[in-house]
Amino acid sequence: MNDLLRLTGEHVLIVAIAVSVAIIAGVPLGTFAHRRKRAGGIALRITDVVQTIPSLAMFGFLIPLPFIGGIGARPAIVALVLYSLLPIVRSTLVGLERVDPYVREAAVAMGMTDRQLLWSVELPLATPAIVAGIRIAAVTAIGVATIAAAVGGGGLGTLIFRGVAMVDTRLILSGALPAALLAIGADLVLTRVERAFARRRGEA
Amino acid sequence: MRCVIPSVSEGPGARVGLRGMYLARRPHRSLATLGMTLGLLLFTFCSAEEKKPLTVGSKNFTESVILGELVAQKLESAGCRVDRRLNMGGTFVCDSAVRSGAIDAYVEYSGTALTAILKQPKADVAREYEKRGLRWSPPLGFNNTFAMIVRRSDAERLALRTISDLKKVESTFRPGFGYEFTERPDGWPGLQRAYGLAFASQPRTMDLGLTYKALASNEVDLIAGNSTDGLIDSLGLIILADDRRFFPPYDAAVVQRADLDARCGGASKALESLRDTIDDATMRRLNYAVDGQKRDVAAVVREFLAAKR
Repeated sequence: MNDLLRLTGEHVLIVAIAVSVAIIAGVPLGTFAHRRKRAGGIALRITDVVQTIPSLAMFGFLIPLPFIGGIGARPAIVALVLYSLLPIVRSTLVGLERVDPYVREAAVAMGMTDRQLLWSVELPLATPAIVAGIRIAAVTAIGVATIAAAVGGGGLGTLIFRGVAMVDTRLILSGALPAALLAIGADLVLTRVERAFARRRGEA
Repeated sequence: MRCVIPSVSEGPGARVGLRGMYLARRPHRSLATLGMTLGLLLFTFCSAEEKKPLTVGSKNFTESVILGELVAQKLESAGCRVDRRLNMGGTFVCDSAVRSGAIDAYVEYSGTALTAILKQPKADVAREYEKRGLRWSPPLGFNNTFAMIVRRSDAERLALRTISDLKKVESTFRPGFGYEFTERPDGWPGLQRAYGLAFASQPRTMDLGLTYKALASNEVDLIAGNSTDGLIDSLGLIILADDRRFFPPYDAAVVQRADLDARCGGASKALESLRDTIDDATMRRLNYAVDGQKRDVAAVVREFLAAKR
């Protein structure tokens, strides 16, 4: 039981760090993709490709790298950040593109600078879409984070890997069920957040 | 007998596409459902009438994949149709697959079968499998035991030659193992007890396939591989001698379902002809051809069988 709590804690920590970094990198990247269509298109393509790299292959690349690679939680977090980028970048882009052109025109006509337009009109209007992207990224990351155990990164995947190796279904479930519950919980909470933002926009 | 299975996309409702199916009005949707149900029913009848191919599985490391391919090609040369499910997972996955009938054969090691699957280290493997309604083929000829592996530079610097020598480095060495070796009674816990070792650092557990990479890039100092691994020589690594004979023999043999011959005549005879055809050196060479020289598994196996003939 003690073990389970510790591993759940590790799991949540890995996901929290990875998704935070992905938000910090992904939202600006999505904004950039919206402003500079061509360069942004390339950036988007790259996140697409990254998404298709199998996790074990990714760890194979990461192990020999200094700083971001090696063995343990660090390469697992790096891999998770890369996997979480796509939904966040794409939803940011979609959110910005869906801003009504008349609203944008009105803002420009009122004399807003480019920066004001972005910060006080476009980003607030795109927030529900961005939060939706974060929700998808977080829920996926909770599931994907079980592969951290493949590089000695800890988390609930440890129980799953151990169970698979030891012909022990109970052990596998003791890792898989809490991970599933975490994912469902995160989904519920972030859906609330998403609705709250959407409602606020509706009143504005 | 072969039947033509109408694909779902030919059904009247399917033309609207997946999105349309949900949006379409009722008649369309029920037509699509009807089409799909009919298709599924047809599919079930057809597959029941036709003889299913034999399914060959393997574990998720190179040697097991090579041996799976070997079994598959051998069955094919006996005229059987074969479905390959290679690289499935660890011992657990393969064992439950063969017991449930999801696969019909895979290659297992006697030591692993006794300690990890049957959980009776002293029993007779063939008899125990028979009790479970499975068959254990005659051994293929090589013994792939666990190997404790270190970097050559460390071995020379610290004069490490046997597992007993690890006593000298138990306070500094960082071990890194796959999950199976960390957990198994014939793995790390038993080895430490048998040799009186007390390593200061807990082993880093990771995917088995990544351990060599971790050792080569100085992330860990001691790993547990298999004595027939092809990468040992090519990466400049050293196997420490098992001077107290802790590891039991791990003779490779085919675990197969009892109804193999009923499904395809001559199948088990074809597998029996593999008896004693691969010695340790040959297995290491085959592994190196795939791991070291990056050659195609099917081609390597084909070549091996052609040379045998």
